[in-house]
Amino acid sequence: MRCFGLLLVTVVACGAQDPRPATVEVISLEILSPSCGAPQCHSTSTNQSGYAFDTLAAAKAALRQLVHTGTTGGHGNRDLMGVINDKKMPPDAPLDPEDVALIQTWITNGAPGL
Amino acid sequence: MRNLLFVLVAIVATSAPRRAAAYPQYQLDSDKTCTGCHLAPDGGGILNENGTNTAESTAWHPGNGNFMYGMSRPSWLDLGGDLRAAGGYVNPGTSSAAFYPMQAEVSASAHWNGFSLFAIGGLRRPQDQGSALHALWSREHYVMWQSNPDGPEGVYIRVGRLEPTFGLRLAEHVVYTQRYGGYPLYGEVYALAASIVKEAFEVHATGFIHDPIASAEEHGDGGALYAEARVGDHAAVGAEGKYSAADDAHRTYGGLTGKLYLPGPKLQLLAEGQVIRENFVAAGGDTVTQLAGYALASHPFGGGFLLDVGVGHFTEDTRVKGLFRDCLDAQMHWFQTSHIEWLLSARVELLDLGAHPNGGYLLAQIHYRL
Repeated sequence: MRCFGLLLVTVVACGAQDPRPATVEVISLEILSPSCGAPQCHSTSTNQSGYAFDTLAAAKAALRQLVHTGTTGGHGNRDLMGVINDKKMPPDAPLDPEDVALIQTWITNGAPGL
Repeated sequence: MRNLLFVLVAIVATSAPRRAAAYPQYQLDSDKTCTGCHLAPDGGGILNENGTNTAESTAWHPGNGNFMYGMSRPSWLDLGGDLRAAGGYVNPGTSSAAFYPMQAEVSASAHWNGFSLFAIGGLRRPQDQGSALHALWSREHYVMWQSNPDGPEGVYIRVGRLEPTFGLRLAEHVVYTQRYGGYPLYGEVYALAASIVKEAFEVHATGFIHDPIASAEEHGDGGALYAEARVGDHAAVGAEGKYSAADDAHRTYGGLTGKLYLPGPKLQLLAEGQVIRENFVAAGGDTVTQLAGYALASHPFGGGFLLDVGVGHFTEDTRVKGLFRDCLDAQMHWFQTSHIEWLLSARVELLDLGAHPNGGYLLAQIHYRL
């Protein structure tokens, strides 16, 4: 338990402001794939609501619809940020605000890479 | 109305089978190996005769613990099955009611001398606009050879679809070291796996390729290694490693496990820590380091009850300040009979030590073992 606490302190102390590039690859692979692309949810085999995020190619295809057309299938007529800001997905764990901010930055920049 | 819609979405989104896993909470106070209670060398799935007896002895009302309460079957065939569902309250930022049909699977193992053929099949959520056949699948199916079919120790070789042995392998897939680490839900692959299981130690090595047909959590090809040594009568330490190379990312996992049983208070302590390196080759080689840890204390009491208290930590990216989360879990198991388990699970999830809005859930789960 002591080691666990030390690990926490180390992590808190060592982090820096978000140095990640706001690219579709980082958005897809680091954020959306583990949070949304589970096989029983938005994966290429389940394709829940018509979207998959478990691979880069699938995530790009989904994001082209969610970001550019502003429709989200089962979530109603809202865009990606609308779904995220509703705070109902993912159902088992909230997205981290740093991740949400990076997605917003990427969209504000014109969603490069799609 | 919006809450109702969310519940419906949650039901559909999660109506797929989940793993019927072992309870390592019992490992060091009874049988030292998974094979003491299970047919598989790394636990989970069908119980053997001793496992069935253990299920009876730990239940509130024991009854007949055999498959379908003692249904006749040929001696060369073992059968099993699991039904699970959960419902309650979830809060990933906004509170809602939720219901999750979790698992509906049957499994069979046909054995002849040291060889056996194992398969588990069930229902999964069909692909949107897919045929009814998409709702059926076999999560695991493999051929196994074991050197000592009459005992818990020996060498095991498996070929087929299975999940590489890695880490603590707790039943609840939301444990951070599993959800974010090297043993995720639906992590099954096509593999050649070798296991050496002794009372003093066990080693599991797996080489695998991803399933090219049915999407799984694992998209890469690679290998996994898990080794565990028992220290004295009531402790064990383990080491683990896994590498997976997919088209868009290469992932490396390394970690340690520890287990300690305190006979006096009947307390089993389990812990696991992992370092995960993700190289996003599709993003120009951007490399991310992640940390996942989980510690669990379990205490059986009252003849049929088991209380778990766990804490977890996950750092998503060590380069980003505040990009981590911690959780506090509490679970109360009630083994009503040798076939029926009730489980009350509660989690409080803190993002950046509570600096951001937090999450959590309170779920009641029923598990019926056929």
